[in-house]
Amino acid sequence: MVKTIIWETKMDVALARAKAENKNILLDFFNPG
Amino acid sequence: MDAVTYPNEGVIEFIQKNMIPLRVAYDAQPLATDFNLKWTPTLITLDADGKEHQRTVGFLPPEELIPSLLLGIAKSYFDRERFGEALAALDKLLKGYPKGDSAPEAIYLRGVCGYKSTHNPKPLKEAYEQLQAKYPSSEWTKRAYPYRLL
Repeated sequence: MVKTIIWETKMDVALARAKAENKNILLDFFNPG
Repeated sequence: MDAVTYPNEGVIEFIQKNMIPLRVAYDAQPLATDFNLKWTPTLITLDADGKEHQRTVGFLPPEELIPSLLLGIAKSYFDRERFGEALAALDKLLKGYPKGDSAPEAIYLRGVCGYKSTHNPKPLKEAYEQLQAKYPSSEWTKRAYPYRLL
C-alpha cells in the first residue's frame, strides 16, 4: 500500500487521469512556505 | 494538513482510491486567478472537465476531510443529474461519518436527490424529519424547514 499521497502537479495531467480513471480531482491550493 | 491530515493512512487510501490528487501553490498562475484563490488551504472538487463542484477553506482533520470529499463527489454527480451515483456517495458518507460536520448537508442533499429522481416530495419531508431529529441546530435543518409541510 502507498504510504503517502502521490500528488499530480499539472492540471492537464490531472484532467487526463480523471477522464481515464473516471474520478474527480481533489485540487489543493497550498502555501509551500 | 501536511502534519496531521495528509499522513493519515485512511486519508491516503481514500484519496488514492477515489480521486486524482492535484496540488499547486497558492500563487500558481493561471490557476490561482481562474479559481479566485484567496486563502490556504483551499480544497476544490473538480470533475474530469475541470468544473468546480465544492470547495472548502481551512484545515480539516482526517475525520472531516473524508466525508467532505464524499460530499464533493456527491455534488459532482448531483450537478450532472446522476442522482443514483450521488445517492451512493451520500449513503457512504452518512453510514461512515454520521457525526461529521458534512452529515447534515448530506441528509439535505439526499432528500433533494430523492425528489429530483422521483418527483415525489416524500424524500424532502424525510430529510427534514431526520435533520430535526438528529441535528436540530444545523443550518441545514433550517433550510429544510419548509419541507415539513409536504
